[in-house]
Amino acid sequence: MPASSSPIAGDGTSALIDLAAALEERFGIEIAKGPANGGFVFTLSLFKPSLLPALCKFMFWEHGCLFGGITAEEQAARWEMHYAFLLPGAGWIDVELSLPIETTSLPSIVAEVHAADWHEREIEDMFGIRFENHPRLGDFILHDQIWREGIEPMRKSFAAGRPPLEHKVDREWQPLLIVGDPGSFAMPVGPVYEGGIGESLHFLLETVGEDVIRAVPRLFYKYRAVEKIAEGRTILDALLLAERFAATSAFAHSLAFCQAVERIGAVEVPRRAAALRVLLAELERMRHHAGAITAICESTALAVSSAQVAIIEENLLRASCVFARHRYLFGLNTPGGLNCEFGLEQCKELLVAVDKAESDLRLLEKRLRFSSSFLDRLEDVGAVTGESARDLNLVGPVGRASAQNCDLRKACPYSGYGRYAFEVPSETEGDGYARLRVLFAEATQSAKLMHQVCAALEEGPVRVSCQVQRAGAALGWTEAPRGAALHWLRVSDEGIVERYRAVTPSFNNWLGFHVAAEDFAFQDFPIILATFGLSATECDR
Amino acid sequence: MSFWFWHGLRKGIQTTRYPERAENTPGVSPGRPVNTDFSTDEAAQLAAEICPTDAIVAHGKSTYVNHGKCVHCQLCRYSLRSPMNWEPGYEWSRIPTNQAEAAPLPSAFAKSMHIMVVDAGDCGACLHEVKQLNNPLYNMHRLGLFLTATPRTADVLLVVGPVSENMRGPLLKTWEAMPTSRKVIAVGTCAISGGVFGKSFMCACGVGAVLPVDFEVPGNPPPPLAILHGLLAVAGRKSLKTPTSISEGRL
Amino acid sequence: MAVITAPSLVGIFVVCAGGICFSALLGRKQVPTLLAIAGAFSAVLMVLASAIVLLTGRTFETALWTLNGFGRLTIHLDPLSSIFLLVSGIVYFSISLFLGSFLKNQADETHPHLQFSILYFVLMASVVLILVAGDTVLFLISWECMSILCFLLINYDPRRQRDKSAGYIMLAMSEAGFLAVAIAFLLIARSATDFSFAALRTASAMLSPQALWLPFLLGFFGFGVKAGLVPVNFWLPRSYTAAPAVFIPVFAGITLNLGFYGILRLNTDLMHASYGTGVVALITGSVTALVGILYATTEGDMKTMLAHSSIENAGIIVAALGAFLVFRGFGQPVAAALAISAALYHIVNHSIYKTLLFEGAGHVEAATGTREMDQLGGLAKLMPGLSAIFLVGCLAISAVPPLNGFVSEWMTLQSLLRSAVLASTSVRIVFALCGAALALTAALAVTCFVKIYAMNFLGIRRGAWEPKADPKAFSKFPLAFLAMVCLLLGILPTYVLPVLDRGVEPLAGASITTVLVQPFFTATPYNAQLPAAFLQDFHNLGGQTGQGFVPGRGLVVLLRGLEANPVIFAMSPSYSIVALVFLFVVAWFVVTRLTRRRTLARRPVWAGGIPRLLPILTYTGTGFSNPVRVVFQAIFRPNIIEDTRQTVAVHFRTAIHRQREETPVVDRLLLKPVGTAVQRVAAFLAGMHQGKLNAYVAYVLAFLLLVLFFYRGS
Repeated sequence: MPASSSPIAGDGTSALIDLAAALEERFGIEIAKGPANGGFVFTLSLFKPSLLPALCKFMFWEHGCLFGGITAEEQAARWEMHYAFLLPGAGWIDVELSLPIETTSLPSIVAEVHAADWHEREIEDMFGIRFENHPRLGDFILHDQIWREGIEPMRKSFAAGRPPLEHKVDREWQPLLIVGDPGSFAMPVGPVYEGGIGESLHFLLETVGEDVIRAVPRLFYKYRAVEKIAEGRTILDALLLAERFAATSAFAHSLAFCQAVERIGAVEVPRRAAALRVLLAELERMRHHAGAITAICESTALAVSSAQVAIIEENLLRASCVFARHRYLFGLNTPGGLNCEFGLEQCKELLVAVDKAESDLRLLEKRLRFSSSFLDRLEDVGAVTGESARDLNLVGPVGRASAQNCDLRKACPYSGYGRYAFEVPSETEGDGYARLRVLFAEATQSAKLMHQVCAALEEGPVRVSCQVQRAGAALGWTEAPRGAALHWLRVSDEGIVERYRAVTPSFNNWLGFHVAAEDFAFQDFPIILATFGLSATECDR
Repeated sequence: MSFWFWHGLRKGIQTTRYPERAENTPGVSPGRPVNTDFSTDEAAQLAAEICPTDAIVAHGKSTYVNHGKCVHCQLCRYSLRSPMNWEPGYEWSRIPTNQAEAAPLPSAFAKSMHIMVVDAGDCGACLHEVKQLNNPLYNMHRLGLFLTATPRTADVLLVVGPVSENMRGPLLKTWEAMPTSRKVIAVGTCAISGGVFGKSFMCACGVGAVLPVDFEVPGNPPPPLAILHGLLAVAGRKSLKTPTSISEGRL
Repeated sequence: MAVITAPSLVGIFVVCAGGICFSALLGRKQVPTLLAIAGAFSAVLMVLASAIVLLTGRTFETALWTLNGFGRLTIHLDPLSSIFLLVSGIVYFSISLFLGSFLKNQADETHPHLQFSILYFVLMASVVLILVAGDTVLFLISWECMSILCFLLINYDPRRQRDKSAGYIMLAMSEAGFLAVAIAFLLIARSATDFSFAALRTASAMLSPQALWLPFLLGFFGFGVKAGLVPVNFWLPRSYTAAPAVFIPVFAGITLNLGFYGILRLNTDLMHASYGTGVVALITGSVTALVGILYATTEGDMKTMLAHSSIENAGIIVAALGAFLVFRGFGQPVAAALAISAALYHIVNHSIYKTLLFEGAGHVEAATGTREMDQLGGLAKLMPGLSAIFLVGCLAISAVPPLNGFVSEWMTLQSLLRSAVLASTSVRIVFALCGAALALTAALAVTCFVKIYAMNFLGIRRGAWEPKADPKAFSKFPLAFLAMVCLLLGILPTYVLPVLDRGVEPLAGASITTVLVQPFFTATPYNAQLPAAFLQDFHNLGGQTGQGFVPGRGLVVLLRGLEANPVIFAMSPSYSIVALVFLFVVAWFVVTRLTRRRTLARRPVWAGGIPRLLPILTYTGTGFSNPVRVVFQAIFRPNIIEDTRQTVAVHFRTAIHRQREETPVVDRLLLKPVGTAVQRVAAFLAGMHQGKLNAYVAYVLAFLLLVLFFYRGS
């Protein structure tokens, strides 16, 4: 593994050694510790599936590891399950479980790590592996009302290119509603959202009128099976998918993907390219946050502020287009660096636009802080406690507003983020206003980072050749605008993608949305939704 | 206490003058590849091969671009050996191949047209660009274009995204719920041809596979002004040239 | 004209007796037909007897036999009784036909038709006796009969009854009310020569206003039990809910009115109490109306909701009666006449539309097997006829013109606005507050009946019941008949008011016809009371439209401003219905002309693109009225017990259940404290009886000392 992409800090190393010792003591011969590989600092091979919950609990609760996600992989005669954990400051740990292909069930870890809920549901839906003691399996990606049982699209035997199946609406289907108050009912919202332009989402708001007791999101209307159709494509074709499944954070996702490819190919990216990647990633973050703030202002119906921040956002889009020739930064990342060179003049021009946007945002924040009608609608709305945020592994600005300070740029630096000085803003209230403050503070930090990058920009190539000639698997990660994004990739020796897995921040945070959307007045619903800044397309893939 | 009214007034008019006057501010459009003539057949062939979605077709020394397939990956622009020409601009909307000529809404809708937007599995970019039309810089209300929340009162169905399998039903339901004078406009390469997602068990390869499409706005994503151009074409306020297949790269 | 009245009255009793005998003789199958024919026939006789009295204005009086020690029993049918008898006749006509068709459809072989039929006719006879009684003894005897029969009718089919105690609570409250009423009569009769009403009237005139307070309050709350007034109405929703569907219309349309009749007879006719009693009545009425409508709006059971709505209407009626008493106490006969005619009009209206609604609810329950509005829905498509008739009832009770509820509520609120003529500021403030409360009540009533109609008939079916078709035309006729009456009472107030006037004039001392229904069409002396300029303006405004062909006294109800408050109020639902029909026709014509070339497409309801709109995804009645609950939280004071179940962890919840416990506000504020106090006293007294001789001796000694202390002077 390239040295630059495994920057383990001193205290991180010692934490890692402690963890290894504790694992040895607790589990002894039941696990085998493997070497650093494909972005993981070490691999733990677990021989007994029954120990899995205990091991996950040990990692997550007793050693402060963060949960990354579960990847299931069907190989010729075995199932490979990867449970990724992050030891902040040290790196990613892969808990690996290898099972015979006949295996149909596994112990569930949701009782220990609630954040694994949706991962397990997805695997059950797409691979047909059942998780014992998981209370909510089924009706996830393949909606039970439409899809019949027994379809397992992610199995190798299922051809991605086959024509769509004939569907019949199940007339017996009933949504799972848990509010049993007399006269309670569920208000359906979406999937064709009634509020103008919105992503395709479906909510069932359980209520007895006026106050909503619980909001149940039903997602995956936009599921395009990116992970499935990437299989069998070349790396460059798969990169197009990674870049285009969630365009508002396209650069972050393509960066994570490229990092995974670069790890497999053991290529080190030139320093200039790495620095320019930071510049572009921060530009994207700033633009995304401006968009998120627009949405929050719109949700509170404060028209002038939302118009003004929309202008800032559009100006950043235009600046991106002038700088990188694409408004959403498509077509820049490529394994081994960047597709094009950026001149110093261009960078300076960009910084002018960024500074303007940053000062405008600061002015706007000041004005919003003095708009009591605006604050009334955000404060104490959709509050998430720090414990819930940790429990459900909330990431990104949403997590940081609830005192979950993990930021992969610091916790596990990539692309040379370790070279720059910046802060990770965080708040403790966990309400809508805290999330808004985090967005503003992060936009400021992004501008600061961009200045540092431009000031320290080294000369050199922006790209090295990256030909993958050996089979392998690796993890790539970035702190996308909405939070931690993981892309795990296995390629064959011909450079064909065999398994691609993207764990996105929205996928993590949608799971936690229900905590914020409990017992609220109906008119607060768009505000809670906007302050969470969730993307359905990023979640659905 | 913030005086938002005053802050708003002080900002002045920011709105573009399009369509009365062309909008040339840098960054309003990323541009797109155009039909390019190369010096040799090989160079043209190379340019066609570099395209991951087969949007570029070589014919002799010339290459033709089917914008309905172009995903703006920019590989042809950055290609060192045979770069394609890119042109600025945004008046990109066109009519689908299976239609002979543009069929805009009757003139009664020209100054007041209600648009229902359906996200059928879009990556977020096209939808975001449609959303930009509502910001003060584009402000489509001034042209009598309005977003509506219910298909019952909608004249135009604007679809973004390649039509994912789970959205096929809702999309059809929306279309069926509209008055029959409806027009369908497919915005973005994904909505026209499925884009990078292509045809699969979860993707319908564009809106045309599900609904009769009346207008198309190519681009990945098409910038706001391109979408505005498309909407004006639906309203009959911008006339579209009947395309020759060769110029659009549809061989 | 006694030639007709007497045989009619005799006929009623004969038909009732015949009904009783034939019920016992005939088979189970024939009873419904008998019930319908005999019931309807005697109802027609009631209408006949009372119509004669009301048209001629002459009281029918005849003496029956003498009861040793109690004086003569007399039959006395004066205009006031006749109004009630007339309404009872109309309502009984509909109810009898409804019962006939309803019982016929009752497939259950075990339904005790015979028993029900016998009780029904006995009750009918006793109701008529109450209304025609001319003396206290006959009145009280038949009142007691009626109370017991009501109890028996509630319990006549105990197997179907969910709440067994409801009947007993009703009986206990009726008996308590009876006792209070009897004492009230006796208090007045102390100084009277005999027990006849005429003698009591003379006797009460002799009594001082202070002495009249006690009989007034006893009578008011004693009859208030039947009428459903706060705080003695807690039995009402329970027994309405518990009573079988076939009997509730009798309850709501007939026996409730007897409470008002009692109050009118005893508290306004037989005694002239001071204006203070009116204030008591006004406040009681307003509070009753508000409490009634609040509980009606939030109630989910159709029958219970209609019962609460009856309480609300009783409140409005009693508030108008209170206004009448205050105006009369202040010597304002014109305003008093307006108030009491509003009350009488509302009594008439309420018994008609409430009977209609209860009959409709009975049909709905029979067709679906449930009364829970959260379970119903979508009936308009299944039962279009019933739905249309029920809608008329809902519009009428929500006081929407051109139906009858509007006329009486308009008059009630107008009479409260007349408070400017009153001399006392504090009473004027009470009037203003009560007027506001009644206005709020009227607004909530609309919510309430939008809810009952929308939740039952619109939307989609939410419960698991099997849909049934519209009832047959014969079954719908009794409802349609009442709906028609609602419409007629709504559009022809100028013809109804003079009829009511017969009853109003003796009580208020002023004629409502001269106040409200001045015959502008003909230049009679009444017009001379109005300024010529006003008459000219009124003519120009169209007040005399149709003079050429409309017979009689015109179509405008108009209240000329009084001296202290010279504002003119006028309404004419008769003209408005003409305008309404005209507008409908024009609108229909224009729309069809404009859309001639368009095709109409019907599509399924738009629900955001989901595959199928499920019943669980639509608004329930509880959800619809929840904002009212939230706003009036301070009154409902719910006690919410939350029960949340989870598996694995807090994020995997399997059930959230919030049980809502509500103690009705009257129970909470009045009955609970009274009950607790009584129990405390009883406990204290029980504590004194420990069975120790020493203690009893000590009690005797203490009592003796007490007596000596009090009588030390004398």
